[in-house]
Amino acid sequence: MTAMTLGEIQRPDARRAPLGRLLRSELRMVLRRPRTLILVGLLALVPVIAGIGIWIAADASANSGNSVDEGLAGLVDGNGLLLPVFALVIGLNMLLPLTGAMLAADALAGEAASGTMRTLLLAPVSRSRLLAVKAFGVATVTLFVVALMAFTGTIAGVILLGGDGMMTMSGTTLPLGEALGRILLTVLLVTVQVWALAAVALAVSAWTEHPLIVVVVALGVVILSGVLSAIPALDWLDPVLMTTSWMGIPEVIRDPLPTGTLTEGVLRAACYIVIGYSLALSRMLSRDG
Amino acid sequence: MTGETGLGMVAADAAAIPLAARTRGLRKVYRGTVAVDHVDLDVPMGAVLGMLGPNGSGKTTTIRMLLGLVMPTAGEVELLGHRLPDGAAAALPEVGALVESPGFHSFLSGRENLLRLAAAEPHLHSGRIPAAVSESLERVGLTGAANRRYKGYSLGMKQRLGLAAALLVPRRFVILDEPTNGLDPAGTREVRSVIADLHAAGTTVLVSSHLLAEVEATCTHVAVLNQGTVVAQGELAELLDSGNAGLLITTPEITLAVDALRDNRIPARAVPDGVRADLTATTAPAVVETLVRAGVPVHEVRRDRTGLEDLFARLTEDGAAAEAAEFDLALPIPEEAR
Repeated sequence: MTAMTLGEIQRPDARRAPLGRLLRSELRMVLRRPRTLILVGLLALVPVIAGIGIWIAADASANSGNSVDEGLAGLVDGNGLLLPVFALVIGLNMLLPLTGAMLAADALAGEAASGTMRTLLLAPVSRSRLLAVKAFGVATVTLFVVALMAFTGTIAGVILLGGDGMMTMSGTTLPLGEALGRILLTVLLVTVQVWALAAVALAVSAWTEHPLIVVVVALGVVILSGVLSAIPALDWLDPVLMTTSWMGIPEVIRDPLPTGTLTEGVLRAACYIVIGYSLALSRMLSRDG
Repeated sequence: MTGETGLGMVAADAAAIPLAARTRGLRKVYRGTVAVDHVDLDVPMGAVLGMLGPNGSGKTTTIRMLLGLVMPTAGEVELLGHRLPDGAAAALPEVGALVESPGFHSFLSGRENLLRLAAAEPHLHSGRIPAAVSESLERVGLTGAANRRYKGYSLGMKQRLGLAAALLVPRRFVILDEPTNGLDPAGTREVRSVIADLHAAGTTVLVSSHLLAEVEATCTHVAVLNQGTVVAQGELAELLDSGNAGLLITTPEITLAVDALRDNRIPARAVPDGVRADLTATTAPAVVETLVRAGVPVHEVRRDRTGLEDLFARLTEDGAAAEAAEFDLALPIPEEAR
């Protein structure tokens, strides 16, 4: 038996599985989950639907002689490269936070509820490592979804609404290359904001076994901070509200780029990420498996 | 409760036998409710230890603390020589466990679920993962259903998959919490044979069960839990003997035999086909000698073993503590060993 055992154990001194193997396994699992796939598919359609809506509205207004709505939507007409930016800004209102919250809910609370977290802890995967693997899964899938929305948005925009440059809110027109750069920048900025919310959601996820609670709390945070920022008397709260950064995202299509506002948004998100993961880690280390 | 010398001997014995797992003064309080208290459990290396106890006696909580899943409120745990929680990373790769209901992803197939767990096994080389998973599935008889979604598995198949996960790599110590839950008689037999194979290969096994016949058939050692404490533990045979030591004598001269024994201050009573002599204060040869001297024709003499069921019932009844005191002489109850 001893000989057989030694023959079969190929990494007898290893105390941890290779990290790359764990991360791949996590991603494969998350991307096999039916609700993840459905959500990803629906989100990929959002820019297309928005594009079709604007295209129809533009058609109708051309016939009646009125101009389309004011604001970002109006700007997108005949300016297809703005569609991905527009779609991501709409998405950040509710759909992308929902996605981040759902991924975070499944990552810890869901695994605890199904008993799969216990089997992983027994493998063993250490608690801090498990959190890191889960965070990687949530972050990667978030980035993937946002990038996918930008991709379908760009394609739909160019086909439906046309345009080979990007007209900015400042009135200038950016050439194709720079326009694509702005789209990429939007993807990164939006992703970081969803990461911030997902970090808060992961902290909640580490505390509970009920994924629904995670989604409810995360969306509650989004709605509450939206409400608070809408009350003028509470303006002094704005610097700490997550949604303040979200409302600054459309600034990305100003010319020149208002780096101050955008950097501030990223820093605010970074604070939430640090706080969220610190809370999640402290709970993970003490929670019952 | 027992004398000092007896305790010293027990401690020396305990030190001599290497232990796969050892707990001392283990205590767990959940929101003011004491789930487990003063648990001093010894799992000898190479043993198949059956953990018995009524529902809510603390079996699963003890197992979860043994595996580092739950932090004890007080007390210490040693697993394969490593102190938990710090030694978990060193000990757990060599421990396979099926705790509570098996936990798997419902949208993945049995094979995919095992592949995922195999990826997290420190001892498994990446190249050997598919083979290890296939072998493990084969071992629990799930090869045919390996590619079906876990969602569609029956209770028994889920349990088998849990067992397959525990046996993904060769282990030194396997912990199975109610492994026969939901299994049909054939499945129960298979689990028994898996345990027998593990035992034959030198693997230590801890199996918790409420099926006493199961434990009696597969285990070498037993630990009985009641109301969160270990009320008895030791070798199965020893426990059964000590439970109610008696000698059954088959003889046609029942009255003569009972009188002869009682004259010699040996408690005895008539039973169908013969006499039952109590061995609490005497030995089997003394009983036989007494009978032969009295001219009683003895046809057959055998030990009257209490079934595990009787023993269990007595240990876990209310007021079990008083009953358990009887076992102190025969059983190393480790709390006193200190």
